[in-house]
Amino acid sequence: MKDLADFAVEHAMKLGAEYAEARLQSDIGNVYVVKNGNPEVAGFVRERGLGIRVLIGGGLGFVSLNQPDKDLVDTMVREAVGMAKASIKVKKKPIRLSAEKAVEERWEVKPMIPFEDVSVEEKMELLLDIDKITSSSKEVGVSVPNRLFELIESNTEKYFVNSEGTAVSSKIPRVLFFGLLTAHEKDKGTEQDTIEKGESRGWEAVKEWNLIDHARERAKTLGKILKTAAKAPKGKIDLILGNQVVGLVVHESVGHPYEADRIFGREAAQAGESFVTRDMLGKRIGTEVVTVVDDPTLKNSYGHYLYDDEGVPARRRFLMKEGVINEFLHNRETAVEMRVSSNAAARASGFDMEPIIRMANTFMLPGDYIFEEIVKDVRFGVYMKTFGEWNIDDRRYNMRFIGRECYLIEKGELKGMVRRPILEITTPSFYDSVDAVDKSLKFEAATCGKGDPMQGIPVWHGGPNVRLRNVRLGGIE
Amino acid sequence: METREISSFIVDEGLRSGADEIAVIATHGTARQVRFANNEVTITTTWDETGASILLKKDKRILTAYITDVSKDGIRGTLKDLMHMVKLMKPHKSYAPLPEGPFKYQTIQGLYDERIPKLEEKNIDYVEATMNSALESGAKRVAGTLLTMDSESSLKSSRNAEGTRRKTTINMMVRSLANGESSGMGVTCGTTLKDFNPEKAGEEAGRLAKMSIDAVSGKSGKYNVVLSRSASAILFDIIAGMDSAFYVDSGNSCLADKLGEKIAFEELSMYDDARATQGLGSTPFDDEGYPTGKTVIIENGRLQSYLHNSLTSKKYKTESTANAGWIVPHAWNIIVKGGKITEEELLKEVKEGLYINNITYVRFQDYSKGDFSAITRDGVFKIENGAITRAVRGLRLSDNIIHMLQNITNLSKEAKQVSHWWMEFGTPSVTTPLILCRNTGFTTPTK
Repeated sequence: MKDLADFAVEHAMKLGAEYAEARLQSDIGNVYVVKNGNPEVAGFVRERGLGIRVLIGGGLGFVSLNQPDKDLVDTMVREAVGMAKASIKVKKKPIRLSAEKAVEERWEVKPMIPFEDVSVEEKMELLLDIDKITSSSKEVGVSVPNRLFELIESNTEKYFVNSEGTAVSSKIPRVLFFGLLTAHEKDKGTEQDTIEKGESRGWEAVKEWNLIDHARERAKTLGKILKTAAKAPKGKIDLILGNQVVGLVVHESVGHPYEADRIFGREAAQAGESFVTRDMLGKRIGTEVVTVVDDPTLKNSYGHYLYDDEGVPARRRFLMKEGVINEFLHNRETAVEMRVSSNAAARASGFDMEPIIRMANTFMLPGDYIFEEIVKDVRFGVYMKTFGEWNIDDRRYNMRFIGRECYLIEKGELKGMVRRPILEITTPSFYDSVDAVDKSLKFEAATCGKGDPMQGIPVWHGGPNVRLRNVRLGGIE
Repeated sequence: METREISSFIVDEGLRSGADEIAVIATHGTARQVRFANNEVTITTTWDETGASILLKKDKRILTAYITDVSKDGIRGTLKDLMHMVKLMKPHKSYAPLPEGPFKYQTIQGLYDERIPKLEEKNIDYVEATMNSALESGAKRVAGTLLTMDSESSLKSSRNAEGTRRKTTINMMVRSLANGESSGMGVTCGTTLKDFNPEKAGEEAGRLAKMSIDAVSGKSGKYNVVLSRSASAILFDIIAGMDSAFYVDSGNSCLADKLGEKIAFEELSMYDDARATQGLGSTPFDDEGYPTGKTVIIENGRLQSYLHNSLTSKKYKTESTANAGWIVPHAWNIIVKGGKITEEELLKEVKEGLYINNITYVRFQDYSKGDFSAITRDGVFKIENGAITRAVRGLRLSDNIIHMLQNITNLSKEAKQVSHWWMEFGTPSVTTPLILCRNTGFTTPTK
């Protein structure tokens, strides 16, 4: 179908397009599911298709097809051109794309242990072993009556070509583990935890995750929460957020609101807009200890890529630098509006999706403290190590995180567990309250959703442990 | 090959390859979408996709696959891989065979409108009309999506289930922004153009956005709240999802161990109707080939049934409710029975409270208990002495699913179909009235 991608671009240009691109994408994925010790299902997805995008008269048209038929490509290119042209009448300002250097590249992540070299049996056995450990109250000290485990592995190959001479081929493996544990203790109710691990590697990643030990520890923690956690304090407090929580916070409240398509209102219908405006570049929004980056080039990361889905080379983006709004995430459409080059944030979740602005691996840079030092200066506070529930409004201004594994801090020392403290805070207040970050850096995998149709994109988010001064823990009085 | 030929070919080849049982759903569809924002079209999209979903069983081991290469060689290659894979799987502990056909599927009226695939560039006219209507009603900026679909799906199983459904859908979601944070939303959807009214959706979105100007900061606390249809749809999608026997078992449901219990307001009745006229999710057969029908989920406040496929019904020692999903049973069209009073009368029942037009970003602290929170938007208003008075901002719905069901005290008369991009469990459509829910929790940022 590579020939068809080239044909699509040439054909669109002959039909009068100012710009055309085609992305041939193949996704080969396997899924394994175990629920409560039962091997529910294994399965696979074998998808291949062509996504074609054209710009004509300032209107943008996208089409996709998945049958290798030249006549169908011809029909669909005509459709893209026709619909894009027809849309011009409801357009105030023609769409333009930033000028980017044409590249011809091929990049690949080679797995040490390809997924196909590991038997289905071994993969199912792994999930069943995790289930066996977590279902044993002897092992984890609590009853875990509901357990769901999934393992998803995929190989994605792409060939991107455009009318400006760019041609990029790529190949990348990805693997994701998901677990949901529900622990129950008589008279104490239930506690739940989700586990997500993901990397752009082969089976060697799964081996390094030590999933059995990891799941055992998470289940044990649920038991400790149920059996020992006291009521969380409310009111004014110092708060230390663990790596996992910090990762989610920066993803939601720096990554998303710095997506230029949100800032320009293009995502207003569903995902929403942003409290950040284009004239806020250079404005201080946090303390000097906060620097947040997004970096697709991190090796092994779940959000890894070297060229985005517009063929632009990836690089680290400094979104917030020492507390100052420094850079937005751009594709070629928003970059030209701000008179900058694209910083390669255009990603599509499949061949049949238009590339839109997405994060890759978003994280707060670590500082110099060790964890004990940031705890030592807290007279009365809470350490929220992991989160349970969270959400944020569609302008990314009003956010809430409820802790899962949490500890009281008194006179500089970690004490017993507390249950479900609620941090409900505005984004500027959050970054203005950070006074110390430690030197650790950990990442979590996630599938970030955005767009219509919804596009789930693999990402990492992470950060150090972070201390906030004088925040309020909330909830309904 | 046509979809019927694809499904037949896969079943025949699968049996020849040694499968005990096999079911296939082959689909071909074309869809058009127009996205718009800032009062202009941002992109048009057209999809043409063909694919086949396959369920294969051998020695009580279960595999599924989705493929887009539906050439004969491609299919043979897929089946070879599946047969290799299935031998390495473990047997399912509550295995059940596929249902034995043949079955007779009755036609569902109103599922196909031949005008919809022919709309083509007319879709852009609909978008323009919607935006104009929203702007005339008070919007400053309008965004949204119009999606039209035309699809054909053919099911065939090795146990003599065979059927084809052809369906069109049209769905306009419009969001208006008036000033700063003020926004409103309108929806119109269906399987035909009969009741499709984009201007009305635009008018509603624009009017709500205008009403949302000069919102005051909300205060944390418990409120009596009227949920509009869009907001109610999100709540009932969650109930429908949590009613899937798969999720009951996996810990994703607060309905576990509650069959037969009174879990909701005594006048609340909710069912799944796979045969609803104009239902976005309507289908004459489920994924296993059972003829579909109506499944009562809640009747007069009492939880009546979980949604089942063959596998889950075997475990629960009951019959399938024709809600397969080969692995996860799911709802097709959720219908919530309307009450006895008008929307105005429902509002009048609230002396002091809130009206919420839309909720999104639902997240659970604990699915099994039902503790959750969600973002309110697109028209959040104070109700004082039975009338909407002014807009409120910054409120987060923070409550519990069962608590909310039990605190519903009335429903408006007219139920209408709603589709929503934020359906936590993916129910295609929810037909619902407005609901009044007492003593519902809302929180705000503390700094």
